[in-house]
Amino acid sequence: MADTDKALQELEDLFAAARAERPAVPDRLSAAILEDAARELPGSRSAAPRRRARQPLWRQLAEAVGGWPALGGLAAASAAGLWIGIAPPSFVPDPVALAGYEDSSTTVPFDSYDMAMVLSEDLQ
Amino acid sequence: MRAAAEEASDDALLVLYANGDGRAAAELTARLSPRVFGVAMRVMGNRAEAEDVTQEAMLRLWKMAPEWRTGEAQLSTWLYRVAMNLCIDRKRRARGGHVDLDAVPEPPDPARSAAEEMQEGARHDALQAALMQLPERQRQAVVLRHLEELSNPEIAGIMDISVEAVESLTARGKRALAAGLAGRREELGYSDG
Repeated sequence: MADTDKALQELEDLFAAARAERPAVPDRLSAAILEDAARELPGSRSAAPRRRARQPLWRQLAEAVGGWPALGGLAAASAAGLWIGIAPPSFVPDPVALAGYEDSSTTVPFDSYDMAMVLSEDLQ
Repeated sequence: MRAAAEEASDDALLVLYANGDGRAAAELTARLSPRVFGVAMRVMGNRAEAEDVTQEAMLRLWKMAPEWRTGEAQLSTWLYRVAMNLCIDRKRRARGGHVDLDAVPEPPDPARSAAEEMQEGARHDALQAALMQLPERQRQAVVLRHLEELSNPEIAGIMDISVEAVESLTARGKRALAAGLAGRREELGYSDG
């Protein structure tokens, strides 16, 4: 037990010595790190978006409505609306019926040919 | 600027860097790179590898700067974590694939002889040689706890394990180190005590 305690104490001494002698970062490594930092500096990349200030009208409009994601949503909603208009699902009420018009087959019993025949018979 | 930079927190300096202030990078490099390099040296046991790990970890810091959220985590903890993962990746690559780093000890001969050849006789080199005998995760935990003097919860965050697992790794690591160093007591100047 005493040996173990002594060994652990000696280990603590080694840890303390190692902490006091932290290895120095070589100059060339510091230089390489700072070169990387300069290359990755956000300001150097933010210069590119500033050049995009001169944009075509369609891109300005796209950004005005919220950029490409918003434009994509707008296009999807428009396509869905058009499709529902062309081929409404069964649960969607017929807009023609809602407007108060009835089916043409019940209100117009005859086509123009039949009407002409009836009129000609009346004249005879 | 220099005096102001020295007083600023790591977080504040990274925000300055993210806003395009290149001078903040110099202060961050002076503060953080010695810590990363020190840990990488102890964990890798090889200067060239430690330099590569340090440069790569700092590069990831620069790239991450615009996304850093101040106050959510400690910058040094994040950086230690990146460095430790880089060390593990390099060890794995050196072994040619996946291995359980908790189970497999270091190959004894090359590491020990390399350390001995480089700096024979000095106590911290004996410590390094003994560290290289530990399994990877034990070595990381011991280095972070006893050489970097980080708290167990911080080490748990860095290594992505529980505090209990950190305690277990450091305890086992210390016992193994003590046993490994026992045979070198005369060499280390402890023979008369």
